[in-house]
Amino acid sequence: MAKLSLFGMLRRSLVHRRARSVSALVAMTVSAGVATALLTLYADLDAKLHKEFRSFGANVVITAPAFARLSGDALAKVRETAGADALAAEFAYAVATTDTDTPVVVAGTDFAAVRRLDSWWQVDAWPESAAEDVALLGQRAAQFVGNEHAVALTYAGHSVTLRGVGRIKTGGDEDSRIYMPLAAFTTWTGVGPSVIELQVPGGAASVETTMARLRKALPEMQVQPVRQLVEGESKIVDRTHALMYGAVLLIALTVAVSVLATLSASVLERRRDFALMKALGGSQMQLMGMFLLEALVLALAGVAAGFVVGSAAAWAISEGNFHTATLPHLSVLPLVLLLNVAIAAMAALFPARVLRGLQPAALLKGE
Amino acid sequence: MFFRLLMESFRRQRRRKMLAGVAILLGTTAVTAMLALATTIGDRIHKELAVYGANIVVYPKADLLDVKVGGVDVKPASGGVYLKESDLEKLKTIFWANNITGVSPELPLQLTATRQEDGRLFPARTVGYWFDHDFGTLKTGAQALHPWWRLQGTWPLVHSRDVVVGATLAKQMELKIGDSFRLQGMAGNAGQPISLTANIVGIVTTGDGTDSEILLSLQDAQLFAGANDAVRRVEVSARTKPEDAFARVDPDSLPPKQREIWYCRPYANSIAYQIREAIPGAQAEQVRRVEQSEGNVLKRISGLMWLISAAALLAAGFAVSAAMATAILERRGEIGLMRSLGASKGSIALLFYAEAGLLAVLAGTMGYLLGSGLAAWLGARIFAGDGGAAEAVLIPVLLPVVVALALVVAIAGSTPSIRAALRMEPSAILRADA
Repeated sequence: MAKLSLFGMLRRSLVHRRARSVSALVAMTVSAGVATALLTLYADLDAKLHKEFRSFGANVVITAPAFARLSGDALAKVRETAGADALAAEFAYAVATTDTDTPVVVAGTDFAAVRRLDSWWQVDAWPESAAEDVALLGQRAAQFVGNEHAVALTYAGHSVTLRGVGRIKTGGDEDSRIYMPLAAFTTWTGVGPSVIELQVPGGAASVETTMARLRKALPEMQVQPVRQLVEGESKIVDRTHALMYGAVLLIALTVAVSVLATLSASVLERRRDFALMKALGGSQMQLMGMFLLEALVLALAGVAAGFVVGSAAAWAISEGNFHTATLPHLSVLPLVLLLNVAIAAMAALFPARVLRGLQPAALLKGE
Repeated sequence: MFFRLLMESFRRQRRRKMLAGVAILLGTTAVTAMLALATTIGDRIHKELAVYGANIVVYPKADLLDVKVGGVDVKPASGGVYLKESDLEKLKTIFWANNITGVSPELPLQLTATRQEDGRLFPARTVGYWFDHDFGTLKTGAQALHPWWRLQGTWPLVHSRDVVVGATLAKQMELKIGDSFRLQGMAGNAGQPISLTANIVGIVTTGDGTDSEILLSLQDAQLFAGANDAVRRVEVSARTKPEDAFARVDPDSLPPKQREIWYCRPYANSIAYQIREAIPGAQAEQVRRVEQSEGNVLKRISGLMWLISAAALLAAGFAVSAAMATAILERRGEIGLMRSLGASKGSIALLFYAEAGLLAVLAGTMGYLLGSGLAAWLGARIFAGDGGAAEAVLIPVLLPVVVALALVVAIAGSTPSIRAALRMEPSAILRADA
């Protein structure tokens, strides 16, 4: 009989008792998979939540001082200072009279920018971006307009007729306003934009730093946070983060116990192998090494399979819950590997210690 | 005999039972804690989201258009239509009255103020509010609906002639707490001049238009308006269900049965509809910025919690069945012995299942208690400092659910090993197994 090498023994041990190897491998895969999925979600959680909060709209308002206007390049400056991720829209306001002689606030703005910034607006039909003579009517303002399809407005003696293409419903101030394209608004009234609404992604800290930069870049403007939004967002993101942290720890503990149980069972089952090897002259160190190696091989295979499964699960969860994909994070791999190897090592060494005290002869005889 | 075997097995094999017991305990603890948190997360996050203010506004249907730019309302002050303050009582009678968590009426006025020291005149945009008003079991008002307001000093009392001044105005006019000034206005359209001396009891910072306003009690504002019962606008904060496609349909276009279902769901739309029904001449709207986004955030966070609970369930199920399998595997010798002594397969299986079941019920109940405690502790720690957040999270419905789950998983987990052990020849087991 050919002399068995350590690797030969390992291979045979894994292949010959296939059912036991598979169950241990499944255990390792589940533990690595759950750890990967939770850690990946956890790593992405803040970004995901901050993204959800973007639906609240602008969190910073930049206004020109009273009776002044924003300079022509203010919007470009704001966009440049706030970064590519920030959404900004400028507004110009004037009080005009409708054809029923009611004063109404008319706002000039860029519809494309507003549509992205204020996603909570319920608009039945957004105007096409190229059109000049279009208007969106707030649902209350619409009641004070004689003809919604030809909205006649007068400002300081100048009148203009706009095509009302849709209604806005927000439950806020927007309901009593009429919105039109900024260029047409400025030609009609001669009033330029006075307010820029800006949405800075991220929590309170990033809003603060962006505001500081804006104040430096635009010293003559008033830069103010929409306080309830900034405070609320940080609070909720922090709390969800903490909750998730607790959940991850709890689940990791449960999984660790389960894997420990499965693996120790598979080792305990092999008491006779252990005794036989000892009777044939294997030292305690060799035997421990053998078990440890086997467990490590299983752990590595489990991490490889579990990383794939867990990343897929994280992707599915965030696709299902947040409607955005979470890509696999390689950065969680070391932690998952460490966790699994630690569990495997404990699972291999714990039964080996239990068995150490036993006499091989007694074990083989069946006592 | 059966019970003796069962009892002795628990008494004598404590170490072996320990592993399975610990696994069940940990599993049920994790599942209970996660489920308890997932079921209460909606309320907790809603409480946090109260920071954003009201999600429903009520105003008179026949009101003039707001002409408001940058928080400054240039609508003519007179001639407006009012809601009745006394009608607000009717909010307590609507179907979802218990979901209303805050009510704040407002009465804005355009007054003139004179400083006492130098007689300097300044225009004063004044708003009457409720402050700590008793509304049924609720203590509500402006500060409850605007939790981001920062006050220095105290809020005015009813009929006290005390006022709170916005920070910007206070800075402009160099007003401080303890100062007093005269407020003048015309009572109603009749034009009867009214003036009173107001004491500043607080200065408020809000970060919006209110920073340059004067805040006083609703009763004092009504005095100036010359209308005893008047409010211009009411903000309502209600616990709602996130909007779905069904919430957006027009209830009057639905068949009666569907309409009833729509009516009896706590959508912001149906609560607004009920408010319109209850208060004559009122128009109620959801504040879409708050309501839509709140719904989104709530849905995502609770969705996440449920998914994590599912992960906890999976992990716990796995842990328990693995531990049960191990516990039985270790005892194959016993099975062989019992069989060679003449026990039937059925009675052996029954004994092992009874052990598993007993273990599941005991450890499951303990795990339920432990998990509830853990959830309460976690909840209190994470959502601390909001008042009332530390309520107990002992949800009785979860006990049978969790114990049943533990039972199912323990029995399912031990089945393969019991069957495998019973299939083997007793002599082979006794000979092979050490």
